[in-house]
Amino acid sequence: MSSIAQNAPGKTVLLMGNEAIARGALEAGVKVCAAYPGNPSSEIIGTLAKVAEEMGLHVEWSVNEKVALEVAAAASFAGLRGLCAMKQNGLNVASDFLLNLNLSGCRGGLVLVVADDPAGVSSSNEEDSRIFAKLGDLPLLEPASFQEAKEMTKSAFEISEQLGLPVLIRSVTRVSHARGNVCLDELPQSGPKPRFENSQRFFALPAVLNHKLLHEKLNRAKQMVEESPFNFYRGPEKPELMVVTSGSGWMYSLEAVINLNVQDRVGILKLGTTWPLPESYVLEHLKKADRILFIEEVDPFLENNVKEIYAQSCLVLGLKAFFGKASKHIPDVGELNPEIVTHAIQNLIQVPYEPRPADYALRAHEAAAELIPARALSFCAGCPHRATYWAVKIALALDGRDGFVLGDIGCYSLGMGPSGFGQMRTLHAMGSGTGLACGFGQLNRFGLEQPVIAVCGDSTFYHAAMPALVNAYYNGANFLLLLLDNSATAMTGFQPHPGTGSTATGKEAPVIDLKAICEVFGARVEVVDPFDVAATVETLLKLLQDEKGVKVLILKRECALVSAKHQKRLYRVEVDQERCLGETCGCNRLCTRIFKCPGLMWDKAAGKARIDEAICTGCGVCTEICPVSAIRKEKD
Amino acid sequence: METGEKVNKGLKGLEEKVFDRDLCADCGACLSLCPYLRSWKGRVVKLDNCNLEEGRCFAYCPRTEVDLNKVYNKIFGKSYEEIEMGPFRKIMMARAKDPIWTKKAQTGGVVSALIDFALREGVIQAGVLTPRDGDLLPQGKIITSRKAILGCAGSSYVSGPTLEALNRGPWKGEERIGIVGLPCQVLALARMKTSELEKKTPIDRVDLVIGLFCTWALDYKPFMAFLFERVGSRSIKKLNITPPPERILEVTSGGTLYRIPVDDIRSFIRPGCRVCLDMTAELSDISVGTVEGKEGWNTVIVRTAMGENLLRRAKKAGVIETRPLSKDNLDHLKEASLLKKRRAIDALKGKEGVETAYFNLSANLIKRILSESGEATP
Repeated sequence: MSSIAQNAPGKTVLLMGNEAIARGALEAGVKVCAAYPGNPSSEIIGTLAKVAEEMGLHVEWSVNEKVALEVAAAASFAGLRGLCAMKQNGLNVASDFLLNLNLSGCRGGLVLVVADDPAGVSSSNEEDSRIFAKLGDLPLLEPASFQEAKEMTKSAFEISEQLGLPVLIRSVTRVSHARGNVCLDELPQSGPKPRFENSQRFFALPAVLNHKLLHEKLNRAKQMVEESPFNFYRGPEKPELMVVTSGSGWMYSLEAVINLNVQDRVGILKLGTTWPLPESYVLEHLKKADRILFIEEVDPFLENNVKEIYAQSCLVLGLKAFFGKASKHIPDVGELNPEIVTHAIQNLIQVPYEPRPADYALRAHEAAAELIPARALSFCAGCPHRATYWAVKIALALDGRDGFVLGDIGCYSLGMGPSGFGQMRTLHAMGSGTGLACGFGQLNRFGLEQPVIAVCGDSTFYHAAMPALVNAYYNGANFLLLLLDNSATAMTGFQPHPGTGSTATGKEAPVIDLKAICEVFGARVEVVDPFDVAATVETLLKLLQDEKGVKVLILKRECALVSAKHQKRLYRVEVDQERCLGETCGCNRLCTRIFKCPGLMWDKAAGKARIDEAICTGCGVCTEICPVSAIRKEKD
Repeated sequence: METGEKVNKGLKGLEEKVFDRDLCADCGACLSLCPYLRSWKGRVVKLDNCNLEEGRCFAYCPRTEVDLNKVYNKIFGKSYEEIEMGPFRKIMMARAKDPIWTKKAQTGGVVSALIDFALREGVIQAGVLTPRDGDLLPQGKIITSRKAILGCAGSSYVSGPTLEALNRGPWKGEERIGIVGLPCQVLALARMKTSELEKKTPIDRVDLVIGLFCTWALDYKPFMAFLFERVGSRSIKKLNITPPPERILEVTSGGTLYRIPVDDIRSFIRPGCRVCLDMTAELSDISVGTVEGKEGWNTVIVRTAMGENLLRRAKKAGVIETRPLSKDNLDHLKEASLLKKRRAIDALKGKEGVETAYFNLSANLIKRILSESGEATP
């Protein structure tokens, strides 16, 4: 049995932050869970999908975040508890609904978890989604530990029901993706029966009236959070410096204070209810110290809001010095870590401390260089996207009109780097490649002669590119859309989507056929297998010549990592080193210098190419690129 | 060069000296040697950067640093000095006797008949010729049969990467090879023969080179766009340019004959052709062209022992018949050939100067060409 579904109160289990959030929702009696996958949030719904059957839940991967929030909100309107999870970009998509839902209110507990990705490790952007809580006058909780992730989720459902408002939980990568001990509570055995009370209305209108009601709810929330166990202070009664922190900042601050051994000089005010802030509680603690340092990831959210509270009471509190992002003691972009926090505290209270020798980083880098192969950010071995971009590169070069590729969100975003041969020229939001193409596709009349290509993955297509394609047909835009159909939401962990024939819980589902959709939308559609490079180049060239309207080329080939799970590799591939001309070949190491599949390596001893059998997935594409046919494939 | 920097003689150099200056003739000599170059609709396209300092692409190209004396010495045992139309042994008119050739031929069918004869006599075992696809795009092809030769007859006035087929093969490894090429291709073949780089091509088995007279070739893409617009159909059967002074492009399409003044298509002449010195494919064994005012006859220039021998045998076997070329025709030919050289020099003067041209010619030779080529009506 999965650890998150066991009814074992008091038992301590090791859980990932996202699993702890999922467990918290189960303990709160959640019934409907919906999300669109996105790192670092994906495991919340992924974990719940696995236990959906035994726990009697409805869990779904929705087509996008806005729909996911609507699905969860419907459960709430019917009196059930609903959970929705997404990454920061997802909240942008869902925000239109969210910023009406705040005014309409809801009924059953409704919790929206947003997992932010500071530094954009697996995102197209860096964004602090906490601002949405302030924007929408919605309660916001920030877990700082794994236990708290579970407890807060449970508590968020309660707060939501008490206020009739959705409650936001903001996690970050190092909370969502790290693991720690979590003590379990009881799972509820029964729940309410859903019913839509026809006496109820869920309208944002009249907006002014509802806005006023919303502010009243927020004032009630302010009272509620004053006593919250998620806010606490640790440290001396009169610290020289008080750290005010939330979320991941708590652990970093704690570690820094312990490392510096300044527990008697520095206090930490850890806040879990970060919107609305517990004003009296904060003021009470501001009295303790005259120097305050804010530690939080991405934007100065706490920093500015606490300063706001201080400004209202500064005559009472007297002069205080605030440090943080505004004072440049803490970087205002990227992820934090204990070292950054340690340095900030050390600077402010003048403690000598050298966490590690000055040349440590350099030496570590040198030591690692011998052990780790130098490899750029790259598509996996056997990835169909590499083959696709290879064909695109050739076709655009042959076409000779300086065509360009508009990018989109997915594994294929790597098309901006060497692995995609630098073909991609733009990258923004889900579906933006096709949307931008709608605009570029109108510029012919002003003299744009370059062919316009947009790329889009299958999951991204359902998510956000479909409206853009409708727009293209309706407004007569001229471009070529490449649908990279690898039959998976690969970048976020192979979640199923409307084209895969199964749901989040593994049930059979109708396949929403990409080709049929595109044809209905009036596009000229062709389908190729990107592993057949020659045919792909030929089809691309043919479609690039067609300068009327929207063309779609579906590049159909399953993700190599998905294939590896259910089928044998296609070919046994090997380099015939007798044939390979090595350094003397006119190819100038095309396979390892430019094509660069990780499955190919340069055998330094032999001065020839070689297949890394541990990595090669047997796609056979490299056999097409070797000019002397030294790379051979055989049916495996 | 003055800076002492090493000059790249690989793809980078080729790009700077040829592609960037739009001098490529699309002869095909640089193709199928490496994965970085490909021909597409009349253009050689670079797919990736290559950082080799020296490459066959550069060495074989007829538009990079051609040492004319070295090349002519290799083929003829003498320097570049016969400026009228290159070294030759004999010159005549000729035509094929079998109507199988003359029926499909652009003019006298001599080229097809000679290749067919060479194959049948075992002088060569394969030919590299230039058929055109349904869209008139020329491409190199290895042929071993009469039927295949017939498929290559005629011209579309567009150059194509014939030599790619030589580089690409597939070859069994023993065949002696005959090639029919334009002057740029014949020059490239001579450069391949004289190159000191490791060959890995079957150039040493190329025993017979038949060169075609050429005043210029057209750039495929814009020319085809123009043709399809004028003719309104994509199925064009035959193209022919009538001899001077008329100079009309005759296009046969869908049973209709369209007549287009040559002046209308001059803007599609490849820039690389405007700096070409060679009208009569001087570096071949036998050069073949039209004869002014003699429809159905070819001018044939025999340049080497190999060429002379083949022509003699073909004549004896009744494959071709010959007649002397009139003095008028010969004078006209020399005049036209010199005029092409003069125009190339003029074109280069207008660009970056003859001194930095792709070939090296002594000041004395340049002077001779300019003085001996009286400006004449084209």
